[in-house]
Amino acid sequence: MNWADLGTIAPVVWAVLVAAAVLVVDLALPGRRAPAIAVALAGLAIVALVILSLAGHTERAFGGAYTLDSLTTFLDMLFLAIGAMTILFANDYLEPRGLPIAEFAAILIFAVTGAMLIAGSADLLLLFVALELMVLPGYLLVGFSRRDPNSTEGAIKYFLLGSFSSAILLFGLAYVWGTTGSTRVDVIAVALTRLVATGSIQPGLAMGLAFMTTGVAFKMAAVPFHYWTPDAYQGSPTPVTAYLSVGPKIGAFAIVLRLFVEALGPLKADWLPVVIILAALTMTLGNLVAITQDNVKRMLAYSSIAHTGYILVGLAAYAGGQHSGITAILFYGVAYTFMNMGAFAVIAALQHWPGVTSQISTFAGLGRRDPWLGLLMAIFLLSLTGIPPLAGFWAKFYVILAAVQGGGWLTVLAVLAMLNAAAAAFYYLRVVVYMYMREPAEGIEATRPSLLFRVGLAATGIVTVFIGLIPVFQTLASNAADVLKV
Amino acid sequence: MPILSLIAFLPLLGALLIAVLPAGNPNLVRRTALGTALVTWVLSLLLLLWFALGSAGFQFKETLDWIPAFGIQYKLGVDGLSVLMVVLTTTLSWISILASFGPIKVRVKEYMISFLVLEVGMIGVFIALDLFLFYIFWEIVLVPMYLIIGIWGGANRIYATMKFVLYTLVGSLLMLVAILATAFTYQSATGGWTGAFDYEKLQAFAAAGSFGHNFQMLAFLALFLAFAIKVPMFPFHTWLPDAHTEAPTAGSVILAGVLLKLGAYGLIRFAVPLYPFAAHSFAWPIIVLSVIAIVYGAVVSIVQPDLKRLIAYSSVSHMGFVTLGIFVFTAAGLQGAILQMINHGLITGGLFLLVGIVYERTHDRSIEKMGGLAAIMPLWSTVFGFFILASIGLPGLSGFVGEFLVFVGSFAFAPGIAVASIIVMVLAATYLLWMFQRVAFGAVSDFLTGLGDHLTDMNQVELVTVAPLAVLIVVFGIFPSVILDFLRGPIQAFLLAAGVAVG
Repeated sequence: MNWADLGTIAPVVWAVLVAAAVLVVDLALPGRRAPAIAVALAGLAIVALVILSLAGHTERAFGGAYTLDSLTTFLDMLFLAIGAMTILFANDYLEPRGLPIAEFAAILIFAVTGAMLIAGSADLLLLFVALELMVLPGYLLVGFSRRDPNSTEGAIKYFLLGSFSSAILLFGLAYVWGTTGSTRVDVIAVALTRLVATGSIQPGLAMGLAFMTTGVAFKMAAVPFHYWTPDAYQGSPTPVTAYLSVGPKIGAFAIVLRLFVEALGPLKADWLPVVIILAALTMTLGNLVAITQDNVKRMLAYSSIAHTGYILVGLAAYAGGQHSGITAILFYGVAYTFMNMGAFAVIAALQHWPGVTSQISTFAGLGRRDPWLGLLMAIFLLSLTGIPPLAGFWAKFYVILAAVQGGGWLTVLAVLAMLNAAAAAFYYLRVVVYMYMREPAEGIEATRPSLLFRVGLAATGIVTVFIGLIPVFQTLASNAADVLKV
Repeated sequence: MPILSLIAFLPLLGALLIAVLPAGNPNLVRRTALGTALVTWVLSLLLLLWFALGSAGFQFKETLDWIPAFGIQYKLGVDGLSVLMVVLTTTLSWISILASFGPIKVRVKEYMISFLVLEVGMIGVFIALDLFLFYIFWEIVLVPMYLIIGIWGGANRIYATMKFVLYTLVGSLLMLVAILATAFTYQSATGGWTGAFDYEKLQAFAAAGSFGHNFQMLAFLALFLAFAIKVPMFPFHTWLPDAHTEAPTAGSVILAGVLLKLGAYGLIRFAVPLYPFAAHSFAWPIIVLSVIAIVYGAVVSIVQPDLKRLIAYSSVSHMGFVTLGIFVFTAAGLQGAILQMINHGLITGGLFLLVGIVYERTHDRSIEKMGGLAAIMPLWSTVFGFFILASIGLPGLSGFVGEFLVFVGSFAFAPGIAVASIIVMVLAATYLLWMFQRVAFGAVSDFLTGLGDHLTDMNQVELVTVAPLAVLIVVFGIFPSVILDFLRGPIQAFLLAAGVAVG
């Protein structure tokens, strides 16, 4: 290790410092919410500047275990945005319930740090440690509402299945190490290319691949490894659900990019069928179950499973030889992050007062009661449906384009994805029906989002509307994806 | 001057303006909406005036790069067919907005915004020359109509609007896959994305026979499904009676007048010229479905107890003539199909307006409860009778010309089909005249008597909404060449693209 290495991982170091600073502020000014929020947000802004100052550099640190390239920068910025938005949305929900914000922000920033570390991992061990750093705070966040039995139940389920899947993943990593003799991503890729060329894939490697796929599928909540999702999502405090639905999911896809694409890329033809089946199952089951839900939070939990399926279509396109699949995954990640967090934020706003449920009836007449909140929710839902010109449409567009380019079974998968999108319209638009076509129930107290909350909502809304119309994001995603081009 | 962009986005400007107007002043909102629609209409008339009849190809073209990475352009342009469709849209739009002044009393602001956004989408579909842009406009149409039916519709509106959206979405999303596959095929063949979504380039590519036959079959089926649902062709029509019946009057007018034409336009503009081999392969099944739609729509209309539902089913029958005329691949057939598109827009639009006028006063649409309206509302009954005769296809009115040309066109193709479809004109006379008889003649029903003074004849505003349609029906009935002159170029291009020798 030398000083230059510290410069390369500066974003991660700064993020840890910010989390620590939030805790210190809370110690110095116990119970004061505003200073903690201010330090957290200002800190994240500094981290953003640090990331941007390193943008464009391609460096390796710690003997090649950590890599900084445009993919790292892209994902780091995305994770940072997720963290910042979660904090913007959190206080309005936590304060009326007497839950502390400083611990929340600190735990969250640790999780974001883990996700950022995944984005830069070039070594299996670092990858695993980073993954644990991302998910362990997640268990705490799910159970953050200590006195709420649902919250605790969700946390325990999430913890048990999460640890289980981490172990399975680790087991798979061990097989890869055993086969290739290295934990370094680039060395593994070279070794595997040689193995594939000689046509000698040992059973051990196949086992390892199966274990790793299972482990990652758990983390990203792909069917049939999704069972923890609905309970964890529904039980969590709503801002945590907003974070969970995007943070760990994009984190899991970051693992996929660094592990499956970069290290195991030579084997892609072998896992193409698996990814196709996983994608088909995930989107179909997610959508079918979402249709039957009456609780919007739970419905969005299943819908997030369906979106995992659409992202997996992009991965399948990559496995089928289309590099544009990676661009599609990255673009989908950004679009999905903003529209989905926006939708959860609206739920959180409605649940400002303790006791308000996330049942669909809560949304009755929202368009009349609170026109702005209703309009934003309608935009997020239409975007999740995939109506142009909103973000979700463009995300699907790039995924489908990549799949169609692959041809063959991938085209079938693309058609299945579109049929799924049509079915999904039913449950998304059902909420719009409640918001605009039903009368509001009596005696509902007005929601009064704080300024911070409104800033967050405005940001998600603006990105959802404009992300596709301006081709900049597509270029960024495509540049980041180029890193993984062999 | 980018007149096409101006026409397409002026309504959006109006919608944004209305968004910032105070909600407490519905009259200001109404007038702003009407003003926007009228200015758009005038601009579209100028377009009609400036359109060079003789020259082939697309005019008033505007091209801007949008997403260069995939060769996606903001490309607009019109030929004779699109010009007519744009004018039909702008005409029915202002009429619908004016017709909504009375009936729409709640959430006027949101209603007018929806309507103007709807107009943007509809105009856009007719002028887009980039497949991707076309798709975007196509989907933009969906949302405002979903809201218009769902918020301002009748008792069963939520069921109707969900059905409408889901049906349309299944078709359009499959169409998206087909569009992307088409663009990608072009890209693989030419080695670059440039022009991969450009309609003119793709059409030239298709004309050279460069799309493989298997690919054509699949892509055509996807596009056909999307358009057939919109038209709607039998057996994809079941959303239409619900949507028409539950929509507010102006919504029904636009649904029948313009939205159904989007499907027919898509078939003429995209599905056939891009995949001519597949279009020929599927011609027979489509013709059979069209004839079934013509007969089935007419038979089912006879037994409908609800005025709007009856007109909705008659639309299925009338639109059957359109698809029949397209897929017999003759000049007369296509002339008839396009005339029928325009006539159906004018006539059925008028019928829905007139039913809406009665509904405003009675809050009921069941034929059973009506009777003797001619005595109470003589002016209304006269106008209604006129539109019914036009819908039957009385010679001298425009409905006749379209159906006659389809008949001529399909006779050359297959006499049996032509005869089968023409017999339906008798059925049309049956259901329409029988309905008119039950509604307008006989003794005044108890239900209507009970309404007393509420039942007044048409007022001047209502007359203004239907009068232009009536005038056009007469003009096009006597001088169909006014329209046919515009169609010479597009029809030749269509037949050339479809691989039929032009005689």
